[in-house]
Amino acid sequence: MNAASSPELDVGYFDGRSARSHRVRIRVSGERLLVAGDGIARSVPLAEVQWPERTRHGPRVAHLQDGGALHADDSAGWDAWAAASGRGDTLVVKAQQSWRWVGAAVLAFALLLAAGYLWGLPWASRAVVALLPQTVDQKIGEIARQSVEGELVQASALPLAQQERLRVAFERAVAQAWPGGAPRHELLFRRGKDKSLGPNAFALPGGTMVLTDELVTLVEGDEAVIVGVLGHELGHVRHRHGLRQLVQVTALGVVSSAVLGDFSSLLAGVPLLLGHAGYARDAEREADADSVHLMRAAGIAPEAMVRFFEKVAAERARQPAAVPSWLGIAIASHPADEERMRYFREASVQR
Amino acid sequence: MSTPREVPSGPEADPPAQHASIDSAGVTGVVSTLGTTLPPSSGYSTLNGTLHERMAIRFTGSGSEYFRIWIVNLLLILVTGGFYFPWAKVRRLRYFHGNTLVAGQPLGFHGDPKKMLRGFLLVALLGGLYSVAGQFSPVAGLVAFVIVALIWPALFKASLQFRLANTSWRGLRFRFNGSVGGAYRALLPLFVPSAVIVAGVAAVPDQLHPPHWFDALMFSTMGLTALLLPLLIWNLKKYQHGHYAFAQLQTELRAGLGAFYALCLKSLGVFVLAGVIAGVVITALAYGLGHNLVEVAGGRANRTAMMVFGFVIIFGTLLMVQALAMPYFTSRLQNLLWSRTGNSQLRFKSQLRFRSLLRVTLLNWLLMVVTLGLYWPFARVALARLRLESVSVVSRITPDALVAQASQGGDAAGDAAADLFGLDIGL
Repeated sequence: MNAASSPELDVGYFDGRSARSHRVRIRVSGERLLVAGDGIARSVPLAEVQWPERTRHGPRVAHLQDGGALHADDSAGWDAWAAASGRGDTLVVKAQQSWRWVGAAVLAFALLLAAGYLWGLPWASRAVVALLPQTVDQKIGEIARQSVEGELVQASALPLAQQERLRVAFERAVAQAWPGGAPRHELLFRRGKDKSLGPNAFALPGGTMVLTDELVTLVEGDEAVIVGVLGHELGHVRHRHGLRQLVQVTALGVVSSAVLGDFSSLLAGVPLLLGHAGYARDAEREADADSVHLMRAAGIAPEAMVRFFEKVAAERARQPAAVPSWLGIAIASHPADEERMRYFREASVQR
Repeated sequence: MSTPREVPSGPEADPPAQHASIDSAGVTGVVSTLGTTLPPSSGYSTLNGTLHERMAIRFTGSGSEYFRIWIVNLLLILVTGGFYFPWAKVRRLRYFHGNTLVAGQPLGFHGDPKKMLRGFLLVALLGGLYSVAGQFSPVAGLVAFVIVALIWPALFKASLQFRLANTSWRGLRFRFNGSVGGAYRALLPLFVPSAVIVAGVAAVPDQLHPPHWFDALMFSTMGLTALLLPLLIWNLKKYQHGHYAFAQLQTELRAGLGAFYALCLKSLGVFVLAGVIAGVVITALAYGLGHNLVEVAGGRANRTAMMVFGFVIIFGTLLMVQALAMPYFTSRLQNLLWSRTGNSQLRFKSQLRFRSLLRVTLLNWLLMVVTLGLYWPFARVALARLRLESVSVVSRITPDALVAQASQGGDAAGDAAADLFGLDIGL
């Protein structure tokens, strides 16, 4: 490049040792940047210049490796000079300065978030959990069990003979459903300390499954229903849902704080809550599928679970819900009963 | 207060005073009046003499432009599984620094993304281990807590050092001169209350039936912490604001403990007031709403409904307290800290009004919710503009008289730690 074709630009120069500004002229010559004027005469390799990115606002400052800096208040003038001197924008800068690219980025970002939520994170959490040994589940389950035993439940009031009958029925079904061996599990009969738990069954990480007396009473000791319910809980254990949710919530938290930054932990918690509820409903569906598999293997019609939901609904009808349904769906941890009843009913028909 | 350093003179560095007569480097509104070399720094002065320049801070960034930068970089972070984070951060800081004009000249940011990536990975590993440890047992949680408490002050110091060493104005780098020992004295007291609580939890054999001394310990620790909080904040800010340096100038914080107690008491009053107002408004709203719903459902309320309303009341109150009372504390703390930061040659003046910050905060909250978070870059720019432009610098020294001093670079890991644990310089 010869001197005539390379344009010049007037800029301010700071030498990095004093805060005094010098007026200099700069131009590119070959692979070097020439700085001259106000007693300054320098030649700097282009590779040693940290060039400013083009933005609509703010002045342009190029930093030199030795601490010197070139300041241009006239940004448009600098951009024109840089372009004429053969300096192009990076792809990122081009994208940032074009609304079309930005629109595409918004779209891609939304699609990526959706895909990550629907497929990426569930897949990744499965992979992470597969790497973790069962002892991790057991350790977490042990802590959860201590707090459940202390705060939520007390010893069961069911006759021991009935407990044993239900246990045998369930274990027989498990052996038929998974002849190759079911995951380690332990069934506990417990009674709720107060009315908050009600007819309920739940599984803790590591295989502890709790069945409340209230549930047994509600279904009048119906063995088929109880085996179905326990099959559902065993599904949670088999898929290690407890640990998977821990992984998923952690990842959701990281993404939500990366996107929203430190604006407000309270607001950042909202997508976390909704995202977690969505995953919880998926986990319930998976557990329902396991329940169907177990009941079929044991020769029980999955229709039995429909009876369970009807009984729960009848129980609930005695204390009608005052929550509008739209509010319930967004934050509910379980899918709607109608959907689950349909699922079990169809599973019975397919047989 | 450090002793004044000699202004170096040599072939490159002309005696600055000779250039300080009228050359204002093209800065509008600045007329240099310094005619002599620097007088020795002799403590704090209120600078009410005539020998001063008032340098305004202007922020020229725009929300729509930062939105474009933000979304493109967010996409790149997501696509690279997080590894692009340091590059995005450097771009963000360059944009915000470059649009912060002090007396017409922008700040510069010089951080190297590759170095920051290493620090970022290290700190992410540390944070991951820390958050997992508590899941397993209280003892593991205690060990993790002690480890973090022990290295945290060093990271804090490294973070400030890194951030300032990589920030420049008129070609000169800022510095943070605090010592590691000072960082431990400033920060370790903050960990004492949490340490007592964590140790107490670990010492209780049966978590469900804690002995009587446990409750007493918890209450007295919390009460004492509340009483000492202003002292702890003051202790920390003395360290932080007492060691900022630029050229031959070093700052100190000339604010007494009393000012911090007054600020915290007033803020507490505003918090309580905001909490009461928010509680009453939200309860009235929820009650009206709940009443209608109960009528729809046939006149009977159930437990779930009560829970949802309780949740709405608590969440709404928290939200309103945050949106109403936090701006008060933030604005008053910024004014207190920055108006009392400086030295005999230079001082800052912060005049951030509570009303302005409240307006911007409420608008940000509203638009954040309406746009599902897409307003975040606009909110960030609006806050930066308000908070930066309310600060000005009053100086007895013309910028031309400032010359570079030797400095250390700081560790990029500290900077990453600041991100993880939510540390900020406060502007």
